[in-house]
Amino acid sequence: MNPKRRHRGLGTALLFMAPFGLLYTVFTIWPVFQGVYVSFYKWGLMGKQSFVGLANYTRAFHDKYFWGALGNTTKFVVITVPLLIVTAIVLALLANRATKIRKFARSAFYIPSVLSVSVISYIAIYLGSPRMGFINELLHDIGLIPPGDEPQWIIGKNLAWVTLALTTVWWTVGFSMLLYLAALQEIPDEVYEAAEVDGASKVRQLFSITLPLLSRTHWLVFLLQVIASFKVFGQVRLITNGGPGVSTRPLVQYVYDTGFGKDNLGYASAMSYALFIILLVFSLLQLRVQNRGDAS
Amino acid sequence: MKKHTGVGGWVLTVLTVALAILFLLPLLWSLAVSLKHEGEGVSNVLAWFLPPYTLENYPRVLLASGVPTWFVNSLIVAVLSTVLTLVISPMAAYAIAKIKFRGATVFYVYFILGLMIPVEAMVVPLFLTANKLDLINTFAGLILPNVAVSMNFIIMVSFMRRIPDELIEAATIDGAGYWRVYGHIILPLSKTVLVTVGIFSFTASWNNYLWPLLATMSGDMFTLPIGIPTFAGTYTIDYVMPMTANMVASLPMIVLFVIFERYIVKGVSLTGIKG
Repeated sequence: MNPKRRHRGLGTALLFMAPFGLLYTVFTIWPVFQGVYVSFYKWGLMGKQSFVGLANYTRAFHDKYFWGALGNTTKFVVITVPLLIVTAIVLALLANRATKIRKFARSAFYIPSVLSVSVISYIAIYLGSPRMGFINELLHDIGLIPPGDEPQWIIGKNLAWVTLALTTVWWTVGFSMLLYLAALQEIPDEVYEAAEVDGASKVRQLFSITLPLLSRTHWLVFLLQVIASFKVFGQVRLITNGGPGVSTRPLVQYVYDTGFGKDNLGYASAMSYALFIILLVFSLLQLRVQNRGDAS
Repeated sequence: MKKHTGVGGWVLTVLTVALAILFLLPLLWSLAVSLKHEGEGVSNVLAWFLPPYTLENYPRVLLASGVPTWFVNSLIVAVLSTVLTLVISPMAAYAIAKIKFRGATVFYVYFILGLMIPVEAMVVPLFLTANKLDLINTFAGLILPNVAVSMNFIIMVSFMRRIPDELIEAATIDGAGYWRVYGHIILPLSKTVLVTVGIFSFTASWNNYLWPLLATMSGDMFTLPIGIPTFAGTYTIDYVMPMTANMVASLPMIVLFVIFERYIVKGVSLTGIKG
């Protein structure tokens, strides 16, 4: 490649990158810096009010609602991530078996993922509504709960968490299942044939061969799910609206409420960076895991 | 893949079917509810699924509410986001993957940074940025942030890198310039990845909740995910109409899924395995 050509390459490359680069810079990169700036101010929807230095950050440090919301988000991560991983593995193993229904099973497990968070939230609300909901009706029909007893799936302190967790698993597990399915299909048959010859049982094969061979996928799914669960907002806002009280309100919702409900964008920005830092750590880990896969 | 026989195999097959039905059940129930007459009570769970059925709720939801406006808005935003993504992301990806120029790595790293910037943590400044550009409550404001996404670009780069350089060199010797190479070699060979990214882009936009929640101010600019909760909120007793609205919002996605399932399955493994 001669230097002249290389130079022309740069110009053309810039031209090709310009439209995406411009939008990406304005709507993805710029807000990160803008947010830091805003976080040093008292800032409302009408604009900048006054410089407050680090006050928004120290305020978060002493704000029990901030810690409560961060705690709720963490609780959501701790509940849903293991549940999602185990469910994804089980579903992938079942959908990977050589049966006539494998395509049907795969589609059925994935299809909730194509629905909007508003749709799945309202399905959950109506499924769980006392007296008229599907779940309580079913429990009455089969006699698991006595007439007149109506479990509160949406506003019950503990049941609200159960509803949020199960809804999230049902809605989002398809993605991780597909990741596992792709990984399962890359395991060569010879591995199992050899185990078969050695007389290893199916259960033994699962725990000694299949699951260990999926270790990279376990990591990837784990990190992707941790990131996704830390970002939780829509289904909680719509199903429980953070309630009862603020007992399920996640960090993103508290940021949203503070910024747009209480007109305090400066403080909301400052709190956003707590989430940003947490997600940054897991995103960097995720890139590492993915690059390891590319290299091999 | 192994053939499974014997009692154990049957048990697992039955379990698979049972779980598949369990996953479909909330959807089937929603569909069944949307086919009921408003105000009709049920005496047991099965009654929901049994006739009489009616389609009368669908025209009512489609004609006498905000749903059609929100549907059209969702469609405009999703289609334009997808088209714009498919025009500008592959251009940038081609530059990084196949044009040799000084600083290519710097640009690549710059474009990857977006993977670590979640919208959820940046809504406040994104809102302020869009506000400054007078984009709040406009289609452009709803669409442009959907297009500025790293993931689509990165999937395309990793795909295009696998296109053999010999093809490009041969065309260059024949006198083809960068644009010709892009239009006649790169784009046609990238069809699969373009379809995949297109579907993901459409789905993400159609289902997007957080950004339209902030970026729309009036009912006439709502998209379905924002409109549906306000619509459902007006029905506090009976949920036949909200469920019908749910189905109206979901059916296009379900049809799209059935048509493009192959690409979706491929796309998920692309996002997961290739960074």
